[in-house]
Amino acid sequence: MTKQFTFKSASEMPEISISRGHMDWNKTGAWRTQRPFYEDKTAPCNAACPVGSDIVGFIQKIAQGDFEGAWNLITEENPFPGICGRICFHPCESKCNRGSFDEPVAIHALERFVADLASTLPEKKEKFSAKKEEKIAIIGSGPAGMSCAYHLAKLHYNVTVFESLSLAGGMLWMGIPSYRLPRDVLDREISNIEALGVEIRTGVLIGEEIKIEKLKDYQAIFIATGAHRSRGVKISGEKGRGLFSGLDLLGRINLDGKVKIGERVAIIGGGNTAIDVARSVIRLGKKATILYRRSKEEMPAFKEEIAEALEEGVEIRYLVNPIRIQQKESLRRLECLRMKLGEKDESGRRKPVPIPNSNFFIKADSVVVAAGEEIETSFLPKRIGKREGIVLTQNDGRTGIEGIFAGGDLTSNQRTVAHAIGSGKKAAMAIDCYLKGNDSEDAIRKILVGNGPSISIFRYLHPGERPRNPHVVNYEELNMDYFEPARRERESKRRLKERIKRFTEVTSTLTESAALEEASRCFSCGTCNECENCYIFCPDASILKKGEKISQQVDYDFCKGCGICFVECPRRAISLEEEAR
Amino acid sequence: MKKVITGNQAVAYGVILSRVDVISAYPITPQTTIVEELSELIASGRLNTRFLKVESEHSAMAALIGASTGGVRCFTATSSHGLAYMHEMLHWASGARLPIVMVNVNRALGAPWNIWSDQSDSLSQRDTGWIQLYCENNQEVLDTILQAYRIAETVKLPVMVVLDAFVLSHTSEVVEIPTMEEVDKFLPPFFLEYTIDTQEPVTFSVITTPEHFFEFRYKVQKAMEQVPGIANKVDDEFRSRFGRGYGAIERYGKEGAEVLLMTSGTVTSTSRTVIQKLVQKGYSVAGIKIKRFRPFPSEEIYEAIKGAKKLAVIDRNLSAGVGGIFAQELRASLYSREERPQVFGFISGLGGRDITPDLIEEAIHYTVEHPRPEEEILWLGLKK
Repeated sequence: MTKQFTFKSASEMPEISISRGHMDWNKTGAWRTQRPFYEDKTAPCNAACPVGSDIVGFIQKIAQGDFEGAWNLITEENPFPGICGRICFHPCESKCNRGSFDEPVAIHALERFVADLASTLPEKKEKFSAKKEEKIAIIGSGPAGMSCAYHLAKLHYNVTVFESLSLAGGMLWMGIPSYRLPRDVLDREISNIEALGVEIRTGVLIGEEIKIEKLKDYQAIFIATGAHRSRGVKISGEKGRGLFSGLDLLGRINLDGKVKIGERVAIIGGGNTAIDVARSVIRLGKKATILYRRSKEEMPAFKEEIAEALEEGVEIRYLVNPIRIQQKESLRRLECLRMKLGEKDESGRRKPVPIPNSNFFIKADSVVVAAGEEIETSFLPKRIGKREGIVLTQNDGRTGIEGIFAGGDLTSNQRTVAHAIGSGKKAAMAIDCYLKGNDSEDAIRKILVGNGPSISIFRYLHPGERPRNPHVVNYEELNMDYFEPARRERESKRRLKERIKRFTEVTSTLTESAALEEASRCFSCGTCNECENCYIFCPDASILKKGEKISQQVDYDFCKGCGICFVECPRRAISLEEEAR
Repeated sequence: MKKVITGNQAVAYGVILSRVDVISAYPITPQTTIVEELSELIASGRLNTRFLKVESEHSAMAALIGASTGGVRCFTATSSHGLAYMHEMLHWASGARLPIVMVNVNRALGAPWNIWSDQSDSLSQRDTGWIQLYCENNQEVLDTILQAYRIAETVKLPVMVVLDAFVLSHTSEVVEIPTMEEVDKFLPPFFLEYTIDTQEPVTFSVITTPEHFFEFRYKVQKAMEQVPGIANKVDDEFRSRFGRGYGAIERYGKEGAEVLLMTSGTVTSTSRTVIQKLVQKGYSVAGIKIKRFRPFPSEEIYEAIKGAKKLAVIDRNLSAGVGGIFAQELRASLYSREERPQVFGFISGLGGRDITPDLIEEAIHYTVEHPRPEEEILWLGLKK
């Protein structure tokens, strides 16, 4: 085993005892009762993303300076990073574990950074193998339809998108003002999808020009026509000249850059459309007053948007309910009632109750009604079920008619761009299953992000790769000894004076250094980012390296199962379980 | 450059000038301001040294054992209970032949609780294989640190530099601070024969059977025996470069005096004035300052006491059941000698009580007046 030797005298001996032998023969792994192992888990941001993006994955790529890698990771799941980075309401950030520590990571800003940077990289043409036989029709070129088209094209199907308007993009085009979503960003991401071979046929109104039932050439149809009909407020005088629906007004501004509107504009509603309209009106040089029947706390518009609107000079009058619109030549008078808050209603918000005899008048030159939207169903085949204002579908988007799927705002009351993108992706996967005769419900169960409802199409396409335990890592599971407070990077905003003059974008993209700083704030919950804490702490040198990097392999010959790697892992990327006997 | 600085600041200057690579320390009064000063310099980027925060003095020394084995110059500072807590690691540092330099600010050990000057902490570590050097003033503190690294790295043994709590640690004096260039010429870069080499992994201080352990300890003793010669050379070179030197001991006062007073630390400063006064009055007295306690300067002392009839020793420490530790060491070193003057073992100033000129004079008068001590332990300034 080892050499035995004896020194004859002290003078022959070195100053200290040193062994050049080794202990490899002593397999201390036999002492182990608990076994540590690397196991990536789900971060709360990933689980909260309606699109199903691998947020931790792409932020870690940014942190490593691999921006192209980050882009590739995002676009595995989402063709619209530039759009989501700007207008998604980022539920990921409200679930970010860093929020329990200082401030959530600015995930949206990082996504936007990657998207804008990727657009400057030389284009890489993806090579597609021969297309499949099957043809698929998509009705509606909004985020749901285009997301579905994107993923189907990547699955090598022939995809045709029908759009009734002259431009593709749906609600992204018509409903979002360009100071929030510049047209070139939208165009860029739509043309990325076209580049995959997707055909977009604009100006084709399905239902009038072509009946859905006539689309016989297509083996599957995905309907994502959205919800764009103004719900109205159902008061007298609502219809008439000088009166607009919120979406109409936004659509006209987006198409022509201008619209004929009076000096004093009253906007009825409290959602994001009302805010978008008000801020657009300000940019047209007019006065905007929002009339909302509840108080600030109940307002469904995003807080940041409300704050920016107020900065720009929008007036918001709370607890005011118009009951009648009177018209005398070009001048309009809104008869309103003052409201107070009563009991909570089914939405959990306190219900506005009119104060008797509180009638008063507000003068306006134009009135915009932005009190929510509803779906158009007249063109749908009769056998497609509807209830409570939405089209009924299975979890995977199937309707009552075989081969017809539906998604986006049409089928859900969660009407956000992220939910629409997620639903389009799920439908693409379901259509693939349908055409192959596979069980899509079963497929969905295998690829849920966390416990769902979002799915990862990467995992659908690459079963077994990048495995991830659905367990969502919570704040208490992190080892906070390893994190220091760090300020959240904020996107800079254009000066107020400039903002209110034109429709150019309000916020700017993070600089590269700011993006690197921000990415380094990510805890990387549940995902090993090779911080090497395990390697440093392991008393048995049992964390194996592969070249310079952590191999994420434990040397079980020597690991005694002390668990220090599990405890000192800052991000719960290591699990510990009792050793099987 | 002259500066008015405390003893603890003098330590910090000594560490900076020695180009220490790694500092690991845990705070304890009255040492804290040393590492406070150093860690602030490091945090502000003005000192390029790695500071390891640790949860105890035991860990501080363990960390330095690792760092020193890794081939870098190391420093720590502690006091009292902190030093006691390090005890096990002190043996390891010397057995592993690591040239670590540590400052210990002399402070009493509880119980009862006490933070004032008392040598019991450092003297209770006398058997750990560390060289121990005691300082009289702030200048000597700085100079001793520079010398300590030279000595430690030559003989490959750790050195403890000792100064009195508050009397030096927190008291300001004028100190001449040498320039970095001057110190660089005096103190060469760190080199250790056996250091960690990842290309050639070995196990350090691996288990050693009775076959060889004995010889390793013998080698530690042989290294200790080299210290007087090497320390003298280092001190001589220091004197020629900087104009200051200290020796292992220093004799002052009347030539051929019959009564000698032996002290260490700041008590020496007070003794100098007392002896000067008594010599002027016609007393045949002189003083001996002991700087180096380990290895004990038996030869140097024997040379210095030739002709003396009586030796008074003031110990600011107590080994209960025996007496003052300096006195005991002195008695032991004289036993086999031909000339064996009477040793008067005084104990004074425990737990920071002032050792005043009056008390020192009282000790000398007692020694002059008595042919031999009436008791093994003579209590000086005790409220009986």
